[in-house]
Amino acid sequence: MDPTSQTIQQQFQRYYLEPARRITGPQSMANREFGFLLFKEKFMVRHRSFRTNEQLLGAIRDLVPAHVYFSTARYKEPTATMEEKGWEGADLVFDIDADHLDTECKPTHDNWKCKGCGNVGRGSAPKICPSCKNDRFEEQTWLCEKCLRQAKEETEKLLDIVISDFGVDPSNLRIFFSGHRGYHVHVNSKDLSGLDEEERKEIVDYVLGLGLETKLQGLNQTSSGGVTTVEGPMMGEPGWRGRIVTGIYDLLSEGVENLQLGSAQTQAFKEWNREALFTKPFWNSVRGAGLGTWQALALKAVQKKSSRIDTVVTTDIHRLIRLPGTLNGHTGLLAVEVQSERLDDFDPFTESTVFAGSMKVHVKEAPSFRLGTVHLGPFHDESVTLPAAAAMLLLCKRRAEPAT
Amino acid sequence: MLTRADLAKYPFLAEASEYVRELGFSIDDIASPEFTPVLDRATSRLEEALSKGRVSSPATDDERTEILSFPVSNLILSLTGEERAKRRFALAEAKRAYELLRQETPEKLQHIATGTFHWTLRRVDLQLGQRVYDFALALPDYLRNATSLREPKWKLPNRVLDHGFVYTARDETARLLEEEVAGRIVNRSARLPGRPPKLLQPRVEQTRGLISKWLGTPQTFELPKVPVPEAMPPCVRHVIEQLDEAKNVPHMGRFALAAFLLNIGADQEEIVRLFTTKWNTSED
Ligand SMILES: [Zn+2]
Ligand SMILES: [Zn+2]
Repeated sequence: MDPTSQTIQQQFQRYYLEPARRITGPQSMANREFGFLLFKEKFMVRHRSFRTNEQLLGAIRDLVPAHVYFSTARYKEPTATMEEKGWEGADLVFDIDADHLDTECKPTHDNWKCKGCGNVGRGSAPKICPSCKNDRFEEQTWLCEKCLRQAKEETEKLLDIVISDFGVDPSNLRIFFSGHRGYHVHVNSKDLSGLDEEERKEIVDYVLGLGLETKLQGLNQTSSGGVTTVEGPMMGEPGWRGRIVTGIYDLLSEGVENLQLGSAQTQAFKEWNREALFTKPFWNSVRGAGLGTWQALALKAVQKKSSRIDTVVTTDIHRLIRLPGTLNGHTGLLAVEVQSERLDDFDPFTESTVFAGSMKVHVKEAPSFRLGTVHLGPFHDESVTLPAAAAMLLLCKRRAEPAT
Repeated sequence: MLTRADLAKYPFLAEASEYVRELGFSIDDIASPEFTPVLDRATSRLEEALSKGRVSSPATDDERTEILSFPVSNLILSLTGEERAKRRFALAEAKRAYELLRQETPEKLQHIATGTFHWTLRRVDLQLGQRVYDFALALPDYLRNATSLREPKWKLPNRVLDHGFVYTARDETARLLEEEVAGRIVNRSARLPGRPPKLLQPRVEQTRGLISKWLGTPQTFELPKVPVPEAMPPCVRHVIEQLDEAKNVPHMGRFALAAFLLNIGADQEEIVRLFTTKWNTSED
């Protein structure tokens, strides 16, 4: 094991060994599979199960893993092989990760290197390398305030859909900061736990607005006596119908200029009182805006109101997902639960730091960042003594090495 | 709520199974001449399903024959052990049901959906734009049946979803029920215990002929999905064991009953209850 991993593991061990440390397992803990990704050779210990929180903590103290996971599924025999576990349903889980968001700041803090030809670039890695068509990359990412704020907004949009459309009682919802670049939403609902992968894919498509046809959400036109009339959904209607209208309202509020309309239409929308969206059928009240214009706006509204969740996490009914209350080996930050009414105020850079004191590290390269109220960096090839949480973040991100 | 004429239209319903059970048939009845119309109708159901992919509803007032012929069709088909034929039969019967269901009152649709299929289905009277909705269907019930439908209108993002319920029109509800019906028939066909009653053998052979005529010869012969004896309730196992030992025991008829019950979709608990009262066998 390299010195950086050794240092990280020692710190994790100290954290987990504190006598007052408590870990709370998920509901139906005895029917869940647990997995631990070890620092050593990135080996995955799987198919473990625990009856009590104490047993679980005991295992974490023994193994001191980089990551702790549990299955979203409940099994009759969680320690058996995959084929023999006996699936008994799975929580409906959503993952929102900055990795999947298109934030403007990404080129400033993320970069990639093609494993095939060594080609490099800024921002998220492309699907395939533009010069050698390889699809494997080394990626360097950073947790950035803007990206995490965007992830939080996506989470808020998701919660609206999950509660208003899927009818999930807020008491059956739990929200977690992953300790890295995103948020997880766990739904514990008897009604939804039996859904298979194909059914969960429909849930995903609904949240993403994928395959949504505006005509099927009521946006259409009729002709009678040579007069064409556009008709469509109204504000306050359930599901995507109402959401399309509020989305259009939001788009117009943010600025008609950004909507890529023709100049005459841009002018017409500017002069139009968008408050009409709240009151009367409005689809025929903007000069020069016919069905085509409204369809384009409605599709933009769907983009705006949809939530950018990860498809694979939600559809996989055997998924292992991070256990709240454990350390994230990518950052040294704690995965923590966020009360939904506090989501807006939640500051991941304050509320998930655990390491106190200071540590000396040699930083290769790091942008400026904030932890708690302390602003740090940027650093370039220098040895510095930092607050331990910041030093751990740089070590875990492989931006620094331990120094003496 | 449901008349005997309804059971003739929808012989896959829980009420139809109950009706068949109350008739209390044995294998001897199948052999008797008065049972011939039932066997004939059972065969015609199969023939039409296999040849045309449809089953028509006859203009008959012999409701009893219509109801009884359905589980007999199922039984014969199960004894052929041909999975693809089972699917074709289930789809054909479900299609027949759909044509009738779409004409039913919302009350009757709701009764069928919530009764036999345990849907959570509420009546609504809602208009959104030009669309009129008659029902609100619980999301899991919707998804279970809609994912196999390929038209864009069935995709969840194209539905109106309101607090866990999907709004559906009457005809759409009937269409989703068609999917549920097909699933129920396929699953019930798979539950067949023990050995074929000998008296059905000619009909089974006849059906095998129909299958290879209309569906061709299968590449690989599929064995019937017979549950292993250990997996059966002990009472059912007991009946089958007795049958194994002595072919002429009076339990012969009981076996037919058990086969019937399993075949018409009675669940194992129901059968256990029934057999426990008749033979006082305990469940372990
Ligand atoms: Zn390359
Ligand atoms: Zn960023």
